Amino acid sequence: MKLNLTIDKRLQLKPIVIVLLALMGIAFVVAMIRYVSGIGSISDLSNSFPWGFWISFDLFTGVAISSGGFLLAATVYIFELNQFKPLLRPSILTAFLGYIMVVIALLVDLGHPERIWYMMIHMNGTSVLLEIGICVMSYLTVLAIEFAPVVFEGIKWQKAAHFLHRFIMPFVILGVVLSTLHQSSLGSLLLIEPQKLHPLWWTPILPIEFFISAIGIGLAMIILESSLSSRAFKRGLETHLLEKLAKVIPIVLVVYVVVKFGEIIIAGDAKYLLISGIMSILFWAEIAMSTFIPLILFSFKRIRKSASGLLIGAIITFFGMIMNRFDVSWLAVKHSDPLSYLPTFMSNVKYFPTLPEISVSVGIFSFGILAFGLAAKYLPVFGKQEEASTK
Amino acid sequence: MTEINHHAFLFDATRCIDCRACMVACSVENKIPMNKTRIWVAGLGITGEFPNLQRETMVYHCMHCNAPDCLSGCPVGAYSKRDDGPVEYDKNRCIGCRYCMNACPFGVPHFDFDKGLVDGAFIDKCTLCPQRIDIGLEPACVATCPTDALVYGEWTDLVKEAHDRIAAHPGRYIDHVYGETENGGTSYLILSHVPFSELGLPNLPENPINKVSESVMEITIPFALSWAAVLTGVAAGVHMNNKKKEANAKEAETYDEKPEETK
Amino acid sequence: MTNTLSRRDFLKLGTATAAAAAAGGWIQPRAARAAREAGLLDAAGNGYIPSMCEMCVWRCGLLARVEDGRVVKLEGNPEHPHSRGNLCPRGQSGLMNTYDPDRVLTPLIRVGKRGDGLFRKASWEESLDLIANKMLEIKTRYGPEAMVFSTTHCLTQQQFENMMYAFGSPNYGTQRSLCFNAMITAFLLTYGVEEPARNYNNVDFILLVGRNMMEAISTSETSELSHAVDRGAKLVYLDPRYTKTASRAAEWIPIRPGTDSAFLLAMINVIVTNELADCEFVKKYVVGCDGIKDAMSRYTPEWAEKITGVPAATIDRIAREYAAARPNSLVHPGWRTSNFLNSFQTERAIATLNALSGNVLTPGGCLSAEVAAEGAGLGAPPQPPYPRLSALRLDGTPWKYPLVPLKLGVFQELRDAIITGQPYQAHGWFISRQNPILSLPDRNKTLQAFGKMDFIATVDIIMNDTAWFSDVVLPEASYLERYDPILPVEGKAFIRQPVIEPQGEAKSTLWIYKQLGERLGLGDYFQYDDEEDYLRTQLKPLAVDLEEVKALGYAKMPEDETKGEITFNTPSGKIEIYSETLKNAGFSPWPTWEEPPVPAEGEFFLLTGKVAQQTQFGTQNNQLLHKYSDEPRLWMNASVAEERGLRDSEWVEVTSNVGKVHIRLLATQAIRPDCVYMTPGYGHLSRGLKTAYGWGASDSVLHVTYTDPISGSQALSQTFVSVKKA
Repeated sequence: MKLNLTIDKRLQLKPIVIVLLALMGIAFVVAMIRYVSGIGSISDLSNSFPWGFWISFDLFTGVAISSGGFLLAATVYIFELNQFKPLLRPSILTAFLGYIMVVIALLVDLGHPERIWYMMIHMNGTSVLLEIGICVMSYLTVLAIEFAPVVFEGIKWQKAAHFLHRFIMPFVILGVVLSTLHQSSLGSLLLIEPQKLHPLWWTPILPIEFFISAIGIGLAMIILESSLSSRAFKRGLETHLLEKLAKVIPIVLVVYVVVKFGEIIIAGDAKYLLISGIMSILFWAEIAMSTFIPLILFSFKRIRKSASGLLIGAIITFFGMIMNRFDVSWLAVKHSDPLSYLPTFMSNVKYFPTLPEISVSVGIFSFGILAFGLAAKYLPVFGKQEEASTK
Repeated sequence: MTEINHHAFLFDATRCIDCRACMVACSVENKIPMNKTRIWVAGLGITGEFPNLQRETMVYHCMHCNAPDCLSGCPVGAYSKRDDGPVEYDKNRCIGCRYCMNACPFGVPHFDFDKGLVDGAFIDKCTLCPQRIDIGLEPACVATCPTDALVYGEWTDLVKEAHDRIAAHPGRYIDHVYGETENGGTSYLILSHVPFSELGLPNLPENPINKVSESVMEITIPFALSWAAVLTGVAAGVHMNNKKKEANAKEAETYDEKPEETK
Repeated sequence: MTNTLSRRDFLKLGTATAAAAAAGGWIQPRAARAAREAGLLDAAGNGYIPSMCEMCVWRCGLLARVEDGRVVKLEGNPEHPHSRGNLCPRGQSGLMNTYDPDRVLTPLIRVGKRGDGLFRKASWEESLDLIANKMLEIKTRYGPEAMVFSTTHCLTQQQFENMMYAFGSPNYGTQRSLCFNAMITAFLLTYGVEEPARNYNNVDFILLVGRNMMEAISTSETSELSHAVDRGAKLVYLDPRYTKTASRAAEWIPIRPGTDSAFLLAMINVIVTNELADCEFVKKYVVGCDGIKDAMSRYTPEWAEKITGVPAATIDRIAREYAAARPNSLVHPGWRTSNFLNSFQTERAIATLNALSGNVLTPGGCLSAEVAAEGAGLGAPPQPPYPRLSALRLDGTPWKYPLVPLKLGVFQELRDAIITGQPYQAHGWFISRQNPILSLPDRNKTLQAFGKMDFIATVDIIMNDTAWFSDVVLPEASYLERYDPILPVEGKAFIRQPVIEPQGEAKSTLWIYKQLGERLGLGDYFQYDDEEDYLRTQLKPLAVDLEEVKALGYAKMPEDETKGEITFNTPSGKIEIYSETLKNAGFSPWPTWEEPPVPAEGEFFLLTGKVAQQTQFGTQNNQLLHKYSDEPRLWMNASVAEERGLRDSEWVEVTSNVGKVHIRLLATQAIRPDCVYMTPGYGHLSRGLKTAYGWGASDSVLHVTYTDPISGSQALSQTFVSVKKA
């Protein structure tokens, strides 16, 4: 018997969407298992490895790559460089979704996600993590406000959009301040572990290093997001704008390199640079990918002016900076020494992300992509000069 | 209530025979589930080559630091420190972020990785047996130790006792009482024949390691306000400057008889 | 009694009675009614109930802490000389022992084949009737000697023996020949006392021969030795393994197994040859001071070096240090001395060395040879005399082993007699608080002997291996749930009383033996109404009320009469280094060297020993101890393992002449290259032990039975094994 399968064209899902939904579904199932049977049931996290992939990827990296938002907000609203306006909304959207993804990830990683709001009523003023928590929650609100005009325009509620637009400045400033605070605080998180984080990374000025690198990664992310979405949504490339941003990157990276190496030398840790085995390899790989190579690449006008050059440069910077976040939060952190421990259930020094663990992050990331796509499709994210066809 | 001002332990690694009576006693006293422990053995174990061997193990639990890093780092203040020493954990505050596990240089807080939302996943650690010390009994681990490797009492008395032992038996101990100054001082003092790092103890300065992060936190609000002020100033300045430029341009326009061709 | 058995009647392995404890809800049992009624708790239900531990034979006094009427913790009793306020890990785990979910709480009668573990619950009436009928049947058909009775060191041992002698059987199996026969017989022959008491108050030099005191914990003695070392006493320790005691010792000597006596004889040689002992003084109390120089002349340090592997200079130096420290120098008598057939001679050498130090002659000295009779000063219920025993004892005491005291026996030899039926066939076995299937060497032989039995009944608190293979299992109340006879320790008569109500239908052995005795027609030998009545009878000479003793935990006993001359309970009244008794029995009158066997090329000595977290064969199911125990693996020297291509943690096969086991390997530096080691007590067969089953392997499967003709001691380290990848 032949079934009449005529589905409304609007309900037809593109294959990519099905894939993304499936990944989200898997993540949801894994998260449910985690809620019932504990974090240890779907990962190898243990007493000697309390933080792992989720923190490094979803929290540290997630926050870092959402730094484009405040950069562009500052650029456009504070420095009134309106030429960059076309890049603004997508960046705000990226940041907004990025922070939502961070919060979702926290809801899975926290032992008591239902108590996440405790940070608002029980505040320990010496805790860096509190500051991050409050800032992330506040900044999410700010981003919502910054993105709200797009939504209001999309649903044709122009009055509200204009209203918000007029009072956007305080929120932009608040957003920059909050971003400065928590981008640097992610580095400050490690200040309390001087004997655990390898000396090539640990420094009292970790927050400053994190902030500078956040600017670098923000710029790279703007370029990356723009390049990818231009290709994905078949829109025009904004190379002329990106090129200007790319010009700033080498300056930021030079400052970063000078600060980083300067600190290492002054602190007397230069001796570790070449003799630390795996740590040295991680360090130099990270520096190469996050600073040296992009520095060189983006110094060339030819590369800055080429769409693919920009994309490749951004990708390299992006991965280099992710490496830095992973190093600081996980790979360069000393976990329990392999001493004799009793009882043997006490420590489980070997940790490696499990498939379920990664699937949660992948699912959350898929949500981000899907949400971005939906927003790009149905809301005036990419400026008012949108093509007539929305398909 | 007792008259002890600072409840403390002195552990003498040369006396410990690794019998684990302390662990069993703690488990019973505090009703610890079978898959958790608040005291454990750490150390390199047996080192050397037959027949020149040495045993390097010790038992330890929460150090009840004077400047606890768990307390410093916990976002919701689930840790608190009694005036007389014990560092306490409040499971009703805990959000399960596990930052304390990273912050603690001794690897003390243990988390319920096997519990979900229904049972509740919490941190577990030595409480210094308040139900015992507050009625004048020794903590469970100390009370049962057959070799007095673990003794308990007033911190200053135990520091003195430790130094007395070092002096009385030259060559038996490393001339240092671990915990006297480390991380600002801890309530669990340790004497050892072998370097403390071989017992699994981290090398910590006298200045508590949370001082750096606490200092950064202290300047957060002043910094935020200053930064906001700077940004406001810059925004205002840029805006005014642009307005001026616009006005100048407009002026230039009006003075121009011929309308400029665009492009 | 039903003939048809429904599936529900079958005992589900592992009772659910204490499942709550296992499920993580912590044990807080109600304090015993008797204790509450005795006024040991205040109105709020708080207080302490004094009693005694039974997690090993040291029997530390304990105080059970009660809060709101519930027992929450066990603490050491500061008033008890064996605990002094401390409890070892096993003592601390006592609540978990009592609340083990695998406790046997009702009498059980076997329904399947022996070893299948299928039992049905039965009433006490039925079970006791069954046992009594079977025993009487055997008595009538084959004679009372066809019943074997065995038990291990416990407080109701006297009542157990009472039942056995009243029944008329001489066949007594105790664990002693697996443990300390060598030590006891040697010291009986040399000092006239079973086990000299040790005093560490003033000791300056201690030589431990084996006796891993820091792991084979006897709480107070371990504490005293540890404090003596802290004080500055020098500890020299002989052991093929680097145990925890070795790490506390000033010198650890990894001596070749089986050669301890060579080392000690060389020490004696050095001391007597160089006249480092004050022989004039000791001559007064010692037989043999004259001829000892000649007798020891061939045992030079150089001679010993070749045998022991210890440099002659070391032996010489240690002998001199030992002598120089006299009389505050001590060679520990040891305890479990069932290592080699020459262990008896090792013990004789130890006794000699102590005599030469003079430490046993000084009041308050390191060693004391005063005799403290068991149960002395306590009352007993009246009873008729025992029937005459006519039959030969199956284990060869004393007709094959003339020097072995009857109360020690030679347990391991019982089985050959049972298997061969020579000199006559035994038909029944009554076992109480003992686990011979796991403890006797050569488990296959034990199982074979079990197979020959018409009837086996066991009293135990848990489904241990021996209970698993029995026909009837009677549930004994655990030590926290029962009364036991009073135990005098250093001038105080201590009580064991229930701190918790007995669970299920468990009962004390005072009750069980009486019930059984009455059914056997031996009621006259059990003239007490109940446990409290028995205790009152015991306390009568002390003129103290039972309730007082319950409250305090003990009663003070009258002081011993003042000691006058130092005498020894030997035929000569002196220490007999030279023993006429031994000579007359056809053995060497002097401590002497007997060459032990050595393993063939590629084989190892299989060593045994103790760990602080377990007691022999009975505690492995305790979840708390399991939690804090090291995994029981086969120790092998790491270099040797590497040479043979064996990796740490991998499964290996260990084979001896009588058996084979699979076990995981521990490659370690802490053992001699020619030795391997297994911790005993694992490899349980009983599936009724949920925690212990499947954990580790049993060394009894591998042990070959060897019996020393003098002391009847088993030689547990004389088994040689080969090891290869599994």
